[in-house]
Amino acid sequence: MPQLNPNPWFFIMLMSWLTYSLIIQPKILSLTPTNTPSNKTSTTTKATSWAWPWT
Amino acid sequence: MNLSFFDQFTSPCLLGIPLILLSMLFPALLLPTPDNRWITNRFATLQLWFSHLITKQLMTPLNKAGHKWALILTSLMMFLLLINLLGLLPYTFTPTTQLSMNMALAFPLWLATLLTGLRNQPSASLGHLLPEGTPTPLIPALIMIETTSLLIRPLALGVRLTANLTAGHLLIQLISTATTALLPLIPAVSLLTASILLLLTLLEVAVAMIQAYVFVLLLSLYLQENI
Repeated sequence: MPQLNPNPWFFIMLMSWLTYSLIIQPKILSLTPTNTPSNKTSTTTKATSWAWPWT
Repeated sequence: MNLSFFDQFTSPCLLGIPLILLSMLFPALLLPTPDNRWITNRFATLQLWFSHLITKQLMTPLNKAGHKWALILTSLMMFLLLINLLGLLPYTFTPTTQLSMNMALAFPLWLATLLTGLRNQPSASLGHLLPEGTPTPLIPALIMIETTSLLIRPLALGVRLTANLTAGHLLIQLISTATTALLPLIPAVSLLTASILLLLTLLEVAVAMIQAYVFVLLLSLYLQENI
């Protein structure tokens, strides 16, 4: 199985961490949310009943 | 030289330059850096929406201290998702079929969760080695079993991703070889095999996404126990 060839193992390990930490992470970090995150749960408004105004 | 079906997984090398770096860097090209405007274009909006969907999904079960891991887990998810999906295109190489890459990602991250737990809350972390309500005579055996299951986690994490993707790619190659080989002989069966190939490709798309999600989800679960 070629995946078990130890020759490129260190290179692949190193490169995967470098790509992940130096390239992908800053890109995801730059995605700023448009709503500020809050811990508050939304309160549901009670629906008041209303009748169709039949004229 | 005659190639075997496993030779699609040899780390590609051209004139001594390892090309796996290209396969790892390409997903970054598919993540556009947003402008400093509030609203940019549809693609950037979709990217933002998707990354927040992932972050919310992963961070909901975690306590406040766990939210520090949001960047690590979300970027890992995007990285693995894109790599897995890009590997399904013809003539591409999937770095996540390499055990080296998956172990390189799984082992340090699992160790980080373990050391976080052992450092900040050692007795609570070690307490996970004995489930509640165990009958007393079973305690020694169960502690050893739980320790083994704890220590095998990084191996399982890495091998799960590798095996799933390798098996998928192998199946695709096998069935497409069968389709091509049967075409001059029994075209009807070849057509049937081609439809199986189509279904398999759809399955592989699902597996690519699910395996990336499972990898990150399990890491977040290991984090939940320890933070």
